[in-house]
Amino acid sequence: MQPEKFYYDNKIVRNFGIATVIWGITGMLVGLIIAIQLYRPEMNMGNQYTTFGRIRPLHTNAVIFAFVGNAIFMGIYYSLQRLMKARMFSDTLSKLHFWGWQLIIVSAVVTLPLGITTSHEYAELEWPIDILITIVWVIFGINMFGTIIKRRERHIYVAVWFYIATFVTVAVLHIVNSIELPISFTKSYMVFAGVQDALVQWWYGHNAVAFFLTTPYLGMMYYFLPKMANRPIYSYKLSILHFWALIFIYIWAGPHHLLYSTLPGWAQSLGVVFSIMLIAPSWGGMINGLLTLRGAWDKVRDDVTLKFMVVGLTAYGMATFEGPMLSLKQVNAIGHFTDWIIAHVHVGALGWNGFLTFAILYWLIPRIYKTELYSKKLASFHFWIGTLGILFYAIPMYWSGFTQGLMWKEFTPEGMLKYPNFLETTMRIIPMYVMRSIGGTLYLTGVFVMAYNLYKTAVQGKLVADEAAEAMPLERLDQHAAGERWHRRLERKPILFLVASLIVILIGTFVELMPTLTISSNVPTIASVKPYSPLELQGRDIYIREGCVNCHSQQIRPFRSETERYGEYSKAGEFVYDHPFLWGSKRTGPDLQREGGKYGNSWHYNHLMDPRLMSPGSIMPNYDWLIRQKLDTSTTGAKIRAMQKLGVPYPAGYDKKANRDLDIQAKGIADNLAMDHIKVKSNKEIIAVIAYLQRLGTDIKANKTANN
Amino acid sequence: MSIIYFLIGCSVLLALIFLAAFFWAQRHGQHDDLYTPSVRILLDEEPESEQKK
Amino acid sequence: MKQGEIKEQTRCYHCGNDCIDERVELDEKVFCCNGCREVYAVLSATGLCNYYSFNDHPGVSREKTGKRFDYLRESSIVKDLVDYSDDQSTIVTFYIPNIHCSSCIWLLEQLNKLNPAIYYSRIDFLRKQIVIRFDNRQASLYDVVVLLDHVGYEPLISLQDVIKKQTTGRKDKLVRKIAVAGFCFGNVMLLSFPEYFGLSGQEEAFKTFFGWLNLAFCLPVVLYSATDYFRSAWTNLKNKVLNIDLPLALGIAVLFGRTAVEVIAHIGPGFADTCCGLVFFLLVGKFVQRKTYYHLSFERDYRSFFPVAVQVMEEHMERSVPLSDIRVGQRILIRNNEIIPADSILLKGDAKIDFSFVTGESVPVSKVLGEVVYAGGRQTGEAIELEVMKPVSQSYLTSLWNNEAFARTQDNRMQTFSGTVSKYFTIVLLAIAFGSFFFWLPFDFHRALSAFTAVLIIACPCALALSTPFTMSAALSILDKNLFYLKNTDVVEQMARIDTIVLDKTGTITIAGGNTIALSGNLSAYEKRLVYSACGNSAHPLSRLICQYLEGARKLNTTAYFELPGRGITAEIDGNSVNVGNERFVKPGPQVNKNAGSTEVHMAINDKYLGYFSISQRYRPGIGAVKDLSPNYNTFLLSGDHGHERAALSEIFDPDFMFFEKSPQDKLDFVKKLQSLGRKVMMIGDGLNDAGALKQSDLGIAITDDVNNFSPGSDAILDGRSLSKLPVFFKFSRDAVRVIYSSFLISLTYNMLGLSYAVSGRLSPLVAAILMPLSTVTIISFTSIAIRLAAKRRSLL
Repeated sequence: MQPEKFYYDNKIVRNFGIATVIWGITGMLVGLIIAIQLYRPEMNMGNQYTTFGRIRPLHTNAVIFAFVGNAIFMGIYYSLQRLMKARMFSDTLSKLHFWGWQLIIVSAVVTLPLGITTSHEYAELEWPIDILITIVWVIFGINMFGTIIKRRERHIYVAVWFYIATFVTVAVLHIVNSIELPISFTKSYMVFAGVQDALVQWWYGHNAVAFFLTTPYLGMMYYFLPKMANRPIYSYKLSILHFWALIFIYIWAGPHHLLYSTLPGWAQSLGVVFSIMLIAPSWGGMINGLLTLRGAWDKVRDDVTLKFMVVGLTAYGMATFEGPMLSLKQVNAIGHFTDWIIAHVHVGALGWNGFLTFAILYWLIPRIYKTELYSKKLASFHFWIGTLGILFYAIPMYWSGFTQGLMWKEFTPEGMLKYPNFLETTMRIIPMYVMRSIGGTLYLTGVFVMAYNLYKTAVQGKLVADEAAEAMPLERLDQHAAGERWHRRLERKPILFLVASLIVILIGTFVELMPTLTISSNVPTIASVKPYSPLELQGRDIYIREGCVNCHSQQIRPFRSETERYGEYSKAGEFVYDHPFLWGSKRTGPDLQREGGKYGNSWHYNHLMDPRLMSPGSIMPNYDWLIRQKLDTSTTGAKIRAMQKLGVPYPAGYDKKANRDLDIQAKGIADNLAMDHIKVKSNKEIIAVIAYLQRLGTDIKANKTANN
Repeated sequence: MSIIYFLIGCSVLLALIFLAAFFWAQRHGQHDDLYTPSVRILLDEEPESEQKK
Repeated sequence: MKQGEIKEQTRCYHCGNDCIDERVELDEKVFCCNGCREVYAVLSATGLCNYYSFNDHPGVSREKTGKRFDYLRESSIVKDLVDYSDDQSTIVTFYIPNIHCSSCIWLLEQLNKLNPAIYYSRIDFLRKQIVIRFDNRQASLYDVVVLLDHVGYEPLISLQDVIKKQTTGRKDKLVRKIAVAGFCFGNVMLLSFPEYFGLSGQEEAFKTFFGWLNLAFCLPVVLYSATDYFRSAWTNLKNKVLNIDLPLALGIAVLFGRTAVEVIAHIGPGFADTCCGLVFFLLVGKFVQRKTYYHLSFERDYRSFFPVAVQVMEEHMERSVPLSDIRVGQRILIRNNEIIPADSILLKGDAKIDFSFVTGESVPVSKVLGEVVYAGGRQTGEAIELEVMKPVSQSYLTSLWNNEAFARTQDNRMQTFSGTVSKYFTIVLLAIAFGSFFFWLPFDFHRALSAFTAVLIIACPCALALSTPFTMSAALSILDKNLFYLKNTDVVEQMARIDTIVLDKTGTITIAGGNTIALSGNLSAYEKRLVYSACGNSAHPLSRLICQYLEGARKLNTTAYFELPGRGITAEIDGNSVNVGNERFVKPGPQVNKNAGSTEVHMAINDKYLGYFSISQRYRPGIGAVKDLSPNYNTFLLSGDHGHERAALSEIFDPDFMFFEKSPQDKLDFVKKLQSLGRKVMMIGDGLNDAGALKQSDLGIAITDDVNNFSPGSDAILDGRSLSKLPVFFKFSRDAVRVIYSSFLISLTYNMLGLSYAVSGRLSPLVAAILMPLSTVTIISFTSIAIRLAAKRRSLL
């Protein structure tokens, strides 16, 4: 019996590799730009499409889904074929997957600067793209499971298990977090409101980190690290244990993102407990990785790819230890909303995801081009400048995190806030922002060097598009007597089963969804909380479009330091009409939940036109285009109808009258501004935004008694 | 907070899938030999010359 | 590549041995023997030379070849060996001791490059096993084995199944049960915390929802994961045995019962988390306890030592016959290095039989035609023919295995500590439970009931049940780092109780065949011939040794010959009187130059003293350790061979404690006798001749130089190199037991704490939920730390 000859598809790997590099550079470049904008607002080039609020999501999406995403597919398509001793299931699907994914990214690059966003962090893309993502993901799934089914190696190596987990979980998460009600091709409202929406978002948000940035990379680590070091993983047993433990705990850890929010206390504590429990499996993985190199540190000294791996693993260890720490309420009280979080995620992203990706690229490109790396010198230069970059990035961010976090909380002996003016705390950390952008520059430089290095490598070699390999076919074992350990009558069933059960979930999801669609929520309702007026609703959507939520939270935690600064702490009941919630996760600027009525309309007008007029030194960009652009009221009706569908109690048929009310309210504001000698037409966007800002939190102010 | 029913439902269902997967792996001897596979993945290509001393 | 060879000039390219005597070359690579070269030739012919690039010298020397596999042509034998076979394909599993590196895996998994009839071959590295599936129309099992042998991986084929079936069945089940328990435990924890963190008023809805979910999660745990506890508790009850499983089962049942009631009746959250946690931890304990050594077998008997088949002569036709089918009267052919499977009579050929495995005597004995040759001897020299007298199972040696000692199951030899304790524990626990029940009964039935259940829950001896497994498994892995492999965790405890040690001599404290003989004094060629002729008449092993030493001298004719047992030989040879024997016998007068550690044979010709041969056994390094044991333990020596080493050995053993010329059966009986005197006996032996004693003793330790080689069935296998550590092992075993005692104390304290609280009948789930894991974690960490400290103190780590 002759072994079967077959060919590994290296072309697809190469393509994903190129995409990784290109999008990596793009995403990091955008990151650098917004980093600079934080101390030089004018870096938005006075252009709304390149303003922080709009391109910060572009940065996160580009880095997570474009850079890391493509890297994952590169790693999976390379290792899966070899682990399964089979070519990818279908070249067509591979191509579809590749181009589909690039299409998604491009559409993100187009829509996000246009302000087309759902404002759900890491899920900003609007519903048509969500659907596209789903389709491409399913294609990827079919391709992967197809390959697993036609494999020639009986044992499914632990890496593949990590890939499977990634696929299944991300699929569910994505769908659950994208349940939107479209009102137009580019606009939709989240089905859930306020607290519930927040819970879904962070259940997603956390697990996205877990299953998009961690599990696939762990899988790749378990394949590429042994290959690079040419020695088996320290303990394969441990790796299997690691996998199952991680899988079963991760899924629960979401709620810790909502500590001190209006999420029920027990749900928060739950998040904490499980986040803590996560340390064990995470470190299990790291230790397993590092111990693999025990006694081979000489190799590490002169092999740059291993250097990258080691630093990457260490970064992973630090991040996975810091995460649970941050979920402790006391720590979180200081860290949340500050740059500490930024530092935390970037240690993970730059160290773990970035460095592992680079290591894999340096190892894999020469192999598929059957040549040596063009320059080891450049590679190790990349390593050092990259490491330096991480340090220059993380340390200032931690520093600024602590500084600002503590300043917010500081009281004078007289019991007054030491820094009542938020701006003071911002000014204090500007130097850190400068340093951070330097760190970013260093890191990005490294990536450019890598791109050059890999390009040269590619030219000097020749791509082995189809790499020959041979293996014995996996013989069908049905014929064998029962009770034997090779007996695999159900060989292929489980995978079908896995897919089937996925479908079952989705169905189950929507079945379960029905009750929640008709929000029979037991969120304590507050009598005085009324739906937004049409103008406010429009204003709110502009607030979303401009991505204000990226810098301004709307979530006052029950600390004296916050109630002193912003006013009454948030109640779950206040958000029942917020589709989507806009709590935010970072306070580059002050919280806005109780903004309503704090300042006059004219203040807001001037402040939006040029923040520095009102508060010198502010790092907020000018929003002068709001004054120029005309408010599009054609959508008002549709929006009201959608809200009604979602259970917002507008009177029946109000969608007809909505624009009349809108004009009246707008007129009022325009007149009020006129009194301050500000000439502005009532049909400008700025009017709507002011209306919304003036409304924020006023319901509670109206009657404190309604609080419970 | 009816959303919690929903989320717990999803999570439990997910966990169940993985439990099923684990059972499959166990029943199909995926965990019978927990050493050799880790070596096997290293043997699928020609070893490079500098790897041998 | 190139300088690699220059560096390794004198080392065999294949196996890395130094090429001393023999240097074979092939395409400028050096090999130590033809065997190695052959392998290289085969591999290079099929372009499988990468074999040599994954590791340096991956091969194993093949000097001792010439093994015959003819018997694999016998369908009846093949049938026994293969795992599965149908009309076209056959699956077979072999145990290959030589598997040792990644090159082995790489090569052996490409067998089909060497023989396309092979579909696939798969290695299990830790078990040193290979599974081969081949097309039985194109190749026979014989071809496959020969191929393996050709590439230097001769499988170890024996009647007894040395193949370890994959860990399907029980262990598998356990893992699954753990998985289920763990899964449910996690979810239940998740769903129980809200209760503890406090659900606010309008979240009551969740309480019931979570309650029901919890109950749902408990079901599989109780009905699937925990079944073993219920079953064993029940069987024990039926056999009127009280053991720890009863309170455990009760605890689980009660936990579940109360959870169900409380959830259904909406009176509380129940104990779901405690219930699942308990089962989960217990099962993990069980799992830890089961340590498996992939490369060892503790169950081997003579069948794994004897050949699978023998060549039977029928009208001058040879054919191999499975051992079991050999009948009295058959004529069998035994070649060099083959073992005689059954007691039989020598018919043809010059038999030089090495009985070291049977009697412990390392010097080959010649047999004359018509003499009885006992089974177990190994022929050295030309092929011989014998007629079978007794069937294999009835032979001198193998009849040992008909002794009832082998019928008895190993385990219930000693009642383990936990066993004894848990008996009383159970009684007390039940007493308290019912006590508190009847105490409250008069006042308040509900209170009484809750008190009763609370007691059973709180006092559920989870920690108690875990302390032994965790301690012992830790101890086991420490010992195994020191090349001392125990069959299971109970053995540690048995070891701690031993007070008497019985050792075999040859191969155990001496290294078999390690005799050195030296002549002090000088003999003329003629004198040599005289001595040679004198000894030539004697069958005494020392005489045989001397003859070996004087090999080449021609025999002179003997006119008179007397052998005085235990003293020496007097012979009249070629007109001279020759005396050979111990000093007193040969030369009158004072004893001089008595040097210990060796036996001396003195010579006088015509009453002229000519000097002596000093014959010394090579003892194992670290034999001194045995001496260190003697103060605290009675150490006996049982040897199969003659007492000519008595003097040397009295260094180590009390002369009255040494017994020689003991047959395997005698050894067994001796151990039995000691036991009847109430001694706890440990037997240390190496050969088949000790198998009976090893089995009979309270703790049988097989000592071996290579754990992959044959070692008789035993409770533990000790690598010869670690013999010196024996006293330390004893001390350590006692430490381990002490650790268990203290951990029991700890867990009992926990129970007391809980009980004092439980009897009042007021038990909040939170307390249980905290107390149970807390005590468990304490025990686990305490035992594992304590045992490590002990090991450190004994410098075993």
